[in-house]
Amino acid sequence: MSEPETVELLIGPQHPGSGHMRLVAEVDGDIIIKFEPNIGYVHRAVEKIAETKTYLQVIPLVERPALADASNHNLGYILALEKLLDVEIPPRAQYLRMLLCEINRIHSHLYGLGIFGNMIGSSTMFEWAFQDREPLLELSQQLTGARLTYTYIVPGGVRRNLPADFKNNILKVFSYLEKRFVDYNKLFVNNPVTIARLEGVGVISKTDAARIGIVGPNLRGSGVPYDVRKVEPYCAYNEIDFDLITEEAGDCYARLLVRREEMKQSIRIVRQILDKMPDGPYFADKYMKMVNPKMKELVDQSGVLRFPALFTALKPAKGTAISRVEASRGELFYYIVSDGSAQPYRLRMITPSFKNVAGYKAALIGQRLADVPAVYGSLDYFPPEADR
Amino acid sequence: MGIKYLFVPRATLMYPEVSMDLCCNYRGMLKWYDDRCISCTMCARICPSGAIKMYKTDAKKYPGINYQRCIFCGYCRDICPVNALEFRPVHDKAYYSLDEQMQKPMEFVKGPPVEEEIKKVKPVFDEKRGLKYDSA
Amino acid sequence: MMDATATAVQIILAIWHFIISPEFFIPIVFPGLITVLVVLLGLIWFERKLTAKVQLRYGPYYIAKHVGGVIQLMADLMRYLFQEFIIPKDADKRVFVLAPIMLFTLTLLPVIAIPISSTFTAIHSDLTLLLVPTLATLAPLLVIIIGWSSNNKYSFIGSLREGYMIMSYEIPMFISVLAMAVAYNSLSLIQAVQKQTGIAWGLVINPLAAIAFFGALLMTSSRFPFDVSEAESEIVVGPYTEYSGIFFIFCLGAPYIKLYIYSLFFSLVFLGGWNPLVTPLTASPIINAILSGIVLLIKAGIVMAVAVYMRTIFGRFRIDQVLKLGWHKLFALSILAVILSLVLVGLGVL
Repeated sequence: MSEPETVELLIGPQHPGSGHMRLVAEVDGDIIIKFEPNIGYVHRAVEKIAETKTYLQVIPLVERPALADASNHNLGYILALEKLLDVEIPPRAQYLRMLLCEINRIHSHLYGLGIFGNMIGSSTMFEWAFQDREPLLELSQQLTGARLTYTYIVPGGVRRNLPADFKNNILKVFSYLEKRFVDYNKLFVNNPVTIARLEGVGVISKTDAARIGIVGPNLRGSGVPYDVRKVEPYCAYNEIDFDLITEEAGDCYARLLVRREEMKQSIRIVRQILDKMPDGPYFADKYMKMVNPKMKELVDQSGVLRFPALFTALKPAKGTAISRVEASRGELFYYIVSDGSAQPYRLRMITPSFKNVAGYKAALIGQRLADVPAVYGSLDYFPPEADR
Repeated sequence: MGIKYLFVPRATLMYPEVSMDLCCNYRGMLKWYDDRCISCTMCARICPSGAIKMYKTDAKKYPGINYQRCIFCGYCRDICPVNALEFRPVHDKAYYSLDEQMQKPMEFVKGPPVEEEIKKVKPVFDEKRGLKYDSA
Repeated sequence: MMDATATAVQIILAIWHFIISPEFFIPIVFPGLITVLVVLLGLIWFERKLTAKVQLRYGPYYIAKHVGGVIQLMADLMRYLFQEFIIPKDADKRVFVLAPIMLFTLTLLPVIAIPISSTFTAIHSDLTLLLVPTLATLAPLLVIIIGWSSNNKYSFIGSLREGYMIMSYEIPMFISVLAMAVAYNSLSLIQAVQKQTGIAWGLVINPLAAIAFFGALLMTSSRFPFDVSEAESEIVVGPYTEYSGIFFIFCLGAPYIKLYIYSLFFSLVFLGGWNPLVTPLTASPIINAILSGIVLLIKAGIVMAVAVYMRTIFGRFRIDQVLKLGWHKLFALSILAVILSLVLVGLGVL
């Protein structure tokens, strides 16, 4: 009569609180005893498809898994490719790349906060965060031509120049966003329900976080000051001044605060980028020489790039190359093996959500069942990114 | 605090009745100019999803497009050496059958249709509301 | 010929007298079945439009564009009527089908004890103050039965949570009703309203009891932030997961009906009942009844609007936090309310 009975719950793919992934929880009363995330529901074999496409065709493939911060993934791939191609990037192109990446970071954090609000129950936060993405989408459209799937960064530079009144527009959007952050604080971050729901929940201690290998704002929320933009600066991040945000508590509330502060830091970075933007070409000379002279006039007039004919079959040198980039959800790692032909021999991408899966077990054993959505939202886990 | 928001106008764009005026350089559906094309086939070679295929008519090969596969990345327009492909600010044409989506060169040259009856609004950036929609 | 028309007129007059007699009018027409259905329609529409406006979007829009989509719920109802009703193979079939019907009708039961004016009541009894909450406690038991009969782990967890919550909100509710009964010195709703017309509203007399009762009202009708047993992201819809078709409407309409009944009760006991401010309406009994009914409905509407508005601001508590809140804060508040009432009566103020 007194044996403890545990109920095995499948918080499966078709569940409003779990995204599209499978979680298996064994629950005794209300306390979780065992917890296994079972990933792979949206696996689409991106790495295998990349072996059948040419190097330039892989770019849209690689930026689709993580939709909200597509250009960070794009940048990681191109940085690895450029190590094999041996091409010099003009400084204006580097600043433009950083601009788009930081806009994407704000976008992705808003998306994460929206999903987080939905999981806790506050549907107002969800709607507000998703509506505030709209000015950012419109800005991205004016810069690159597409609202969400940019393919803006190509080997050698970027595809378009900065439009004429972009700076004014972006400053207006930032002052609007800063006012909205005040409202978010009042509604969500300082709401007593949110604090009661998130404080002390899903604690990952500092040593645990460093040992199991979670990355990104989750790591910084547990007190470990690690950010690839500071440790191994790529593009021109060593010329820009920004703070590294850490919080000591390691619970869901700390991770929420880290994301909110990172959005403010991204706004600061973009303001510095716009002030410091150097003039000059936005595409490498080595490839610009190969463009048709008639097309070159059009490029100079309209500010939109035309590709050289080489891009249909770009053949980098034989060898391997790696690159590390700080995407919005954590550290992103690319590894390309090339055998001299027009298609990559092997492309390996380790996405931040894949590394964050280990955080579930550390955070949820011993917590209540109702904390599963709270921890899911705070780790900002995105199943397509993890399953590729 | 929520009471304040009862008096702020809504942010939704009522889509089927009102449509957004897309700015220049938007990567929408394509229009092909057959008098400029030189049949170099670079657009078909660089397309990441295989949406552009060359069709043989008389002696030359001309491109046709399959809108089911097109991802609107813009590579074909960027690589064409004679500027024979151009973007049109149309993104939402609905087709009833698969055949209509695979356009041979004869239809590709016409380009996408333009809806005239929909009211167009232009998005304008604003400090108080982020994005406002003014009539174009 | 003359006899036939005379008897026909007599029959019609008899039917008319039957309809407007309080024993028929209250349970069926006025705060009864027909009004409940109309209020349900309006309340859900109002909730959706209000949350949509705060969230800067349109709520129900296309169905009746000129009135702003009021009859959206009718459209939903028609859709659910035609939907296939699926009964799981391992569920307890008879209970599965009967329980939502009983839930929907039994939550309506307390309406027979609500008086519209001092002469227009369905039950002539002295215990109506106690009768309304007592009859209203039948409903949550049925929720537990619904969850058990579905044979689904999530429904089971949901009904367990509802069971826990019943313990923690019924007790503060009854104790605050006790506080008000001590303050008014009677157990009859009509006398409660008459006492309020002389002095002040119940809200002013004993604010602690009002706060405790309002908290319990939010908990019982599953309004945010106490939405724990249904419609949450951890347990798919709670005890009502397996229902589809018209039974889904029954199950989800039941908390709204509870909200309506409790807000009528709240406006009778705390907000001065059927009198506009503190002076009574005096006119012929029929007009008195009609005007009082309208005033009562408006006051109940205000309470419902406030309860529904909570949805936009708050998230959702966890079950152990709700229980802690219920037992620590609400229980303590209601005991303090009883002490306050005793002090006020002892001092001779009331």
